[in-house]
Amino acid sequence: MSKRALKRGLTGFWWLTLFFLYLPLAVVVLFSFNSANSSASFSGVSLRWYHRLLGNEQILSAFANSMVLAVVSSVVALVIGCLIGYGMYRHRHRKLGWLIVLIYLPIVLPDIVFGISEMAFFVQIHQATGLLKPGLGTMIIAHVTFQIPFVALIVYSRFVGLDPTLFEAAKDLYATPFKRVLHFMLPTIKPALISAFFLSFTLSIDDFVISFFTAGPESATLPIYIWGAIKKGVSPEINAIASLMIGAVAVAAILSLVFSRRRQT
Amino acid sequence: MSDTIPADIADKTDVTPAAETPCQDDSTRKASAIELRGLHKRFGRDTVALDGVDLHIQAGEFFTLLGPSGCGKTTLLRILAGLEEPDQGTLMVGGKELTEVPPHRRSVNTVFQSYALFPHLSVRDNLAFGLKMRGLPAAKRDAKVDEIADFIKLGDLVDRRVDQLSGGQRQRIALARALVCEPDVLLLDEPLSALDAGLRSQLQVELQRLQKRLGMTFVFVTHDQDEAMVMSDRIAVLDGGNIQQVGAPSDVYERPANAFVARFMGHDNLFAIHRSEGDWVETEIGRMRLLPEEQRDTSDGWLLVRPETLELGPEVPEGYNRMEGIVRERLYRGSRIEYRLEVNGQVVMAVASNLGQRIHREGDEVTISVCPEDLVRVAA
Repeated sequence: MSKRALKRGLTGFWWLTLFFLYLPLAVVVLFSFNSANSSASFSGVSLRWYHRLLGNEQILSAFANSMVLAVVSSVVALVIGCLIGYGMYRHRHRKLGWLIVLIYLPIVLPDIVFGISEMAFFVQIHQATGLLKPGLGTMIIAHVTFQIPFVALIVYSRFVGLDPTLFEAAKDLYATPFKRVLHFMLPTIKPALISAFFLSFTLSIDDFVISFFTAGPESATLPIYIWGAIKKGVSPEINAIASLMIGAVAVAAILSLVFSRRRQT
Repeated sequence: MSDTIPADIADKTDVTPAAETPCQDDSTRKASAIELRGLHKRFGRDTVALDGVDLHIQAGEFFTLLGPSGCGKTTLLRILAGLEEPDQGTLMVGGKELTEVPPHRRSVNTVFQSYALFPHLSVRDNLAFGLKMRGLPAAKRDAKVDEIADFIKLGDLVDRRVDQLSGGQRQRIALARALVCEPDVLLLDEPLSALDAGLRSQLQVELQRLQKRLGMTFVFVTHDQDEAMVMSDRIAVLDGGNIQQVGAPSDVYERPANAFVARFMGHDNLFAIHRSEGDWVETEIGRMRLLPEEQRDTSDGWLLVRPETLELGPEVPEGYNRMEGIVRERLYRGSRIEYRLEVNGQVVMAVASNLGQRIHREGDEVTISVCPEDLVRVAA
């Protein structure tokens, strides 16, 4: 095979990949603007499905749940993950292999295993103590647990990339331990923190499986609502929600990327 | 290319008279003496970094800790900075005991080898960092930063970003950031080692002048004996966690306390002494007469012959020691000529200034003479 043919083949493969990745999304977005109540034919541009969304209390509450869950869990995960990331950095010379594996296990564990075990755990605690009633609270705990490793990893790698003498320079220049955190560490890792926040946010908004198993009757998120709704068939309304979610996640992912790029400098 | 701001080189030669410099009055008052007593420091079980160091550094002195890597010089500097705590011993600065005082409460600042400029801050904020941490109000910080920028002639560097600076510029900013705090003692951890040779020798002179202008106590760490000799008032040579010798550069160079110091200061011509007898010693390169004060009871030790004190030529002046040798190698260096000679089966280095005298060739048999005054006996 000639070099040129190989290049053409690879280019074709690239377009094929893009086609299967983004065309379904494009179709969803397109039909969300369809004026007809059909998923088969496009008959004209309209915003009626978006208007319909605003009138649907279930959707609005699912949206609110998703946002509260994503923001609260991301903030909590940011604080805890940041502390873990710093701890990992400070004790990087010790042998921490098993601890690191423990922290990263949730990343590789299948969501469904994770979700079911969390559910069983919460239910047992609830039966025994009356605490941790399935609902937003349990979902936040579950989301925080799978967000933490990502935050910790981002913060850790930022610290590792720093000149270790910077910590000594801060001490040498009269910074007390508290001022070192405030004026040196936090500003230095700020881009990493912002990036980690948006990544956590995206992970939370995207999650269906773990949310599904840890949710209560009142705490359906958008993915859970969509899953329930499409059992009755794909309505153009679903297309509208999906389009909004695609937009939100894309923005969060881009922001995460932008800030993770910025930390290189 | 952009290593130096225009003012960088041009202003290097004209030293502002001390009286006109604003930092002068503040800093001479602040110069502090350092007293180290019985410092021991161990890392892990087996690594002894400092093995009982006693040292007195005078106020306003340019003092250099010189030694090979692993000799303990950096550990000693870090103990002065408070970044390391000694296992035993005490540290006094300006009459106050600082042994267990944390670094942020010591009036001691460091210029780090990697410069350690904060990447998230502008140059100006880097310079103001120490003052800010000490709680100085913003207006005063700005004034002080401007003052030091003027003093060290930073020019427009102050308004740049840290990642826009070259190595030499970073070095100057790191220096200014430490000096602006007006510490009792300034510590410098091989601050010139990352720079190229030209910039390095330029900054050596500049640093030394700066220290004289400020009258501040400088403690400088280096492994480069030439750098140490150019810059220092006094040098402490360290090896194996012990101080081998403390003295002015000329003492340490001309009268090394032992063979280690002699070798570290760049002396190659060390010859074993077999036997002493009156003013005479029997050595690997023959019988030599020394000055009476060089004689010791012990017969062991080394004879140090500095290459620049050897004279090559047929005439041997009255009272000089005489050797016969063969030129094995000749290096023409322009201003001087280096010879590798063979005397009594030993290699002897000689350096002659190129004054237009006869240049010997490889294979030439030469008569070598050396004045007894120039011969130094070095302990083993």
